[in-house]
Amino acid sequence: MNTITNLLTVASMAAPDGEPAKAFALGEVVPEAGAAGGPGWAGLILLFPILSLIACGVFAALRVRSKLPAFTTVGFLGASFATTVALYLGHEQPYVVHLFDWINLSWGEGATATTFAANFALYVDTLTLLWMLFVTGLGTLIALYASEYMEPDLGVGYSRFFAGVSIFLFAMSCLVMGDNLVLLYLGWEGVGFASYMLIGYYYTRPAAVAAAKKAFIVNRIGDLGLALGIYLTWHAYGTVEYEALFRAFAEGGLATEAGGWQTAAIPYLFMIGAFGKSAQLPLYVWLPDAMEGPTPVSALIHAATMVTAGVYLLCRVYPLMTLHPAALPTVAWVGGLTALLAATIGMAQYDIKRIMAYSTVSQLGYMFLGVGVATTYAAAYHVFTHAFFKAVLFLTCGAIMHGFAGQLDLRRLSGLRQMPGWRIVSYTMLYGCLCLAGFPYLTSGFFSKDKIMIEAFVTEGPGFRALGVIALVTALLTAYYTFRVWFRVCAGPKHYEMGDDHHGADDHAHGDDHGHGHHEPHPPRLAINSVLVIITAMAAVAIFLAPWLKDMVKSSSAGGGVPVVAGHEGGFWADPHQWMPLVASLTTLLGIGIAAYLHLLNRPAADRLRSGLLASPATRWLPVAMERKWYVDEVYHAIVRAPLWVLGKAMWAVDRWLLDGFVVDGTASLPRRLGRSFQPLQNGLLQSYAVSMAGGVALVALLVLYMPELLEALRGFRGGEG
Amino acid sequence: MDPMPILLILLPLLGAIPIAFLPSERAKWIATAVTSVTFAVSVIAAMRFGAKWTDGTFGFLAEIGWLETVGVTLNMHADSVSMMLVLLTTFLMPLCVIGSFSAITTRQKEYYAWLLILQAAMTGVFFAKDLIFFYVCFEFTLVPMFFLIALYGGDNRSAASIKFFLYTFTGSLITLAALLWTAWSYADAAGSWAMAFDIPTLTEHARTLPLATQSWLLLGLMAGFAVKVPLFPVHTWLPLAHTEAPTAGSVILAGVLLKLGTYGIYRFVLPMLPDAVAAYAPALGVLAVIAILYAALICWVQDDVKKLVAYSSVSHLGFCVLGLFALNPMGLQGSVLYMINHGLSTGALFLLIGMMYERYHTRDMNRVGGLGKKMPVWATFMVFFVLSSVGLPGLNGFVSEFLCLIAAFTATGDAGLPYPGLLGPWFAAFAGLGMILAAMYLLIMTGKVVFGPLKEPGHGHGDHEDHGALPADLSPREIGVLVPLAVLCVVFGLQPTVLTDRLEQPVERLLVDAGYPDAVRAELQRRAGETPARMAGDRPAAETAAVPTPTEVPANVDADADAATIPGAGATGAPDPTDLALIDGRIPAPPFELVKEPVDG
Repeated sequence: MNTITNLLTVASMAAPDGEPAKAFALGEVVPEAGAAGGPGWAGLILLFPILSLIACGVFAALRVRSKLPAFTTVGFLGASFATTVALYLGHEQPYVVHLFDWINLSWGEGATATTFAANFALYVDTLTLLWMLFVTGLGTLIALYASEYMEPDLGVGYSRFFAGVSIFLFAMSCLVMGDNLVLLYLGWEGVGFASYMLIGYYYTRPAAVAAAKKAFIVNRIGDLGLALGIYLTWHAYGTVEYEALFRAFAEGGLATEAGGWQTAAIPYLFMIGAFGKSAQLPLYVWLPDAMEGPTPVSALIHAATMVTAGVYLLCRVYPLMTLHPAALPTVAWVGGLTALLAATIGMAQYDIKRIMAYSTVSQLGYMFLGVGVATTYAAAYHVFTHAFFKAVLFLTCGAIMHGFAGQLDLRRLSGLRQMPGWRIVSYTMLYGCLCLAGFPYLTSGFFSKDKIMIEAFVTEGPGFRALGVIALVTALLTAYYTFRVWFRVCAGPKHYEMGDDHHGADDHAHGDDHGHGHHEPHPPRLAINSVLVIITAMAAVAIFLAPWLKDMVKSSSAGGGVPVVAGHEGGFWADPHQWMPLVASLTTLLGIGIAAYLHLLNRPAADRLRSGLLASPATRWLPVAMERKWYVDEVYHAIVRAPLWVLGKAMWAVDRWLLDGFVVDGTASLPRRLGRSFQPLQNGLLQSYAVSMAGGVALVALLVLYMPELLEALRGFRGGEG
Repeated sequence: MDPMPILLILLPLLGAIPIAFLPSERAKWIATAVTSVTFAVSVIAAMRFGAKWTDGTFGFLAEIGWLETVGVTLNMHADSVSMMLVLLTTFLMPLCVIGSFSAITTRQKEYYAWLLILQAAMTGVFFAKDLIFFYVCFEFTLVPMFFLIALYGGDNRSAASIKFFLYTFTGSLITLAALLWTAWSYADAAGSWAMAFDIPTLTEHARTLPLATQSWLLLGLMAGFAVKVPLFPVHTWLPLAHTEAPTAGSVILAGVLLKLGTYGIYRFVLPMLPDAVAAYAPALGVLAVIAILYAALICWVQDDVKKLVAYSSVSHLGFCVLGLFALNPMGLQGSVLYMINHGLSTGALFLLIGMMYERYHTRDMNRVGGLGKKMPVWATFMVFFVLSSVGLPGLNGFVSEFLCLIAAFTATGDAGLPYPGLLGPWFAAFAGLGMILAAMYLLIMTGKVVFGPLKEPGHGHGDHEDHGALPADLSPREIGVLVPLAVLCVVFGLQPTVLTDRLEQPVERLLVDAGYPDAVRAELQRRAGETPARMAGDRPAAETAAVPTPTEVPANVDADADAATIPGAGATGAPDPTDLALIDGRIPAPPFELVKEPVDG
């Protein structure tokens, strides 16, 4: 059986990508592109989205009213994807491609010479390529989907939308391909900005603006953790470049004890960053709100790609995650608990897009659980499969939203699969749901989730078995809430109510030229349907990609997290590899069965169950709290935002009344008051002038008499200081 | 003798003359021409600066006599830091002038003349090689600014202008006293006043002064510079002045005038007083961190957009000061970068707010909002510069903020570091919270002003009709003002090496010449030798009472180094004369009497 300690050793050995060990000194200059032999055209992957952004900017300035921005973006992103594929086909060894200098400082001479180098340079290994393949691939497809989805906004926000998508792709490419932590940070905040811009796409709606703001600010909390982690990494190892870092790490071995808190804190700081970006406890609250953005954005950014950046970060710096023995178990526990919590909330929501959002949080929890139980391979596999099936789910939600004028309430939609033109949506959604639920053997989600749950039982760690049980319970809940959606929306009797807004943009005038004016749903057309089919097919193909993915992860910096499969003694029940598929299958089928009973076969039973729970005072808190998302937003408001606001007000009062009013203005008014106090002296009475004159003369006389003593005293005073 | 500095000061000064004699409609065009020509000349100057950009020494030496009997001159010189700040000034001025076209409709002659005079004074500060010349320019910036606020400001302009003037003037007087004392002490030691006001000479002299004297000088110098920066708790003049100043006034105030404070710290405090700075760096760092968080929290509860950005300057310059007192090359470079980047992005924000104010005559976020719908171009620029100010990587603000923070983080007393420091991770962690707060207040502001449902102040107040001349969205003139700033934000965000390559040598030279690594190490040893519970930044005077305990100091400290830890002896090791000696006999008959000479000792 693997234990954490074992894996840590593996990690440290696998880290330097088989490079010969070299003596590492503080600030050693890392070999640049020429030496490492990376192809310079890899930079095109970053350049294409920038070109696309510029083009969209020009189109916006020219007020183009056609679909030109969309097709330009699709073209550039497709080129980016093609470049990535070419890069993948020619890939053998990890290498660095130096594009241009960014932050590059050096000081000191000789032995104390120090450099800080964070350049625009790409680090290409198999992990990079894995991520880039699905990021650019899905990016292209979803941009194509959006060309149809966003058409009500033609000429209004159309160019802005595709500019946002281009920025996102650029930033995400920097995040994944950067050869140093600072460039990763650029991408990290860049995707945060793209997310901000796109969540707030319908900027006249206060809810969208609030959600965008919340996403950026909550992410910033995580970003601070990441930034501090980068500072500490540089402080401890003298570099932020992966290649040098992994080499330094291999040289120093497990510096846990020797490095003291300075190295031990690094994994925790990175973790905070990852939890922020990937919506884990306690920073997950922004993701469900992010659904205010247009649905293609939710699919691309808030399901498939950006939110997996946290998993990518932990895989990328996986060797560093082993700097403290409790770091990975912390990740595992946070992931497991997030998965469970989000699933319970997802069960009680009615907005299908929100349910998908919570399921994303929950599935991200699984991925972190995977990283935490030291199986980066399973985590990356789940990232990969999830990217496709969750994209399908969001895109089908988007198609429904698009066709039913913003209707997302699962109580107001039913029997979609029987409606003309909605068949592709219904059945691609069904496959997406099966993947999410982990339907045995036919779906990629089953295999990837299984691998994570198996490792939770295999790996030795604090409470990992309990985490495995939590993961199984979560799988049950997931199957239930996923099929609650499908049985409600796609199956059952035909029934629908149109939504009351036009893609949420109540003031975007596009009523009559388009299907929404009259209250008839309009089914998706070619662009949406073809993208749905392609991505669904990819989700199915992913079943067979497990060995390929294993190789990809193994030869990267996360290679330490590919479990070594060892024989297990003691028969069927002693080996999780054997019993897990069976148990997981039964769990899933049970969940689907419950959903089928409550939401397809006997829908009134669901209402009776709910009203039964609500009727009893002992149980009514449960559905209410789940619906109200366990009051987490309210609690955060009460313990973080409100006190800070009060503090701000208090500081403002201190500034105005105490510092400026009392101290500054008070001091400034002293001369005037002093003057006022002497005013009575100038009373024009001769005798009082005589008295003051006499007093003055006496004072001068005294001074003259005692001058030497006074000076002596003064000198003593000054000497005392010196 | 290089004419460039003289030219750059004289051009705007002379440009003010025709404005006085020609009709007032032409004033703005003359000012535009003069500032543009000055900018062109400064670019030529930058090209002629050549190798001096990177070798860290001073160039552009110009020697002009003035009051030669007392050693006061009009000498000028420049290193790359001053050149950068001069370029920032000459770059911002034409934008300020062009940006004022529609806002200033009365008393135009005076307005543009004061702007030009202000430019000359600011350029003088950065070029000055002579202490008195420096101080004259430093103080003279107050006069044009006073009139700009008092004549063209908002409703509360007279109070704001008086507070601005008196507050900063009081601070600078104390600085003057400290500087004069240093000059006098030099003259006393050298026996001549010949070079007593030469800044490089004085700097070298001041380093030799004992710790206690340096500490008093630090207090004196910081009195003026900290007010100018402004550093908590002497910042309260700034929000008022910013809010009431006309747009161009705010831009110059934020863009250049605040930088006089940080430049003063860079040029005087750091090189002159290494021992005292080492002793007080943590205390000043704490003040900087307080400024960052305190001002950021205040920003959050503001309703007036301009006041919000004004307070954000206090918060941002906290980072700048933090970088300076990290005492390592990274921090100094980050800090100089911060000066420039803050000038660009905050200057642009003030311009944008001015453009909004010209159209709506309010800056109250509760009354005006959702302008993205009505002014998409304005909104795009607003979001862009907000992001630059928030420190989004890829734009300029990030690089400087990042460098200041990482410098503070790594400014530990680690013996292995080439430049040990006296701050540390906690400083960066707390200052980093300012990053989160900055995102909060700036995005909340953006959310209200740019996004959300359109909200315009109700019609019928009568005074809102006069913006008929301005289009609903930005005019080409206004776009033309903003584009150069935006371009520089991107360039400095992606190619900061343009600046950092030119700063590497100067900042390292500063640190090495002032003996920082040793001063900091001495301070660290001094602390290690004392009770561990002692707080950083205690009064050095208290150290006379503390008995050095040789048994507690690290083993590698020998007797000599031990002597160096005795307070008052300074880092130079040799027992310096106390300043008592200066009062006594050896005064070389100054040409004018600074102190009444007491009885003969």
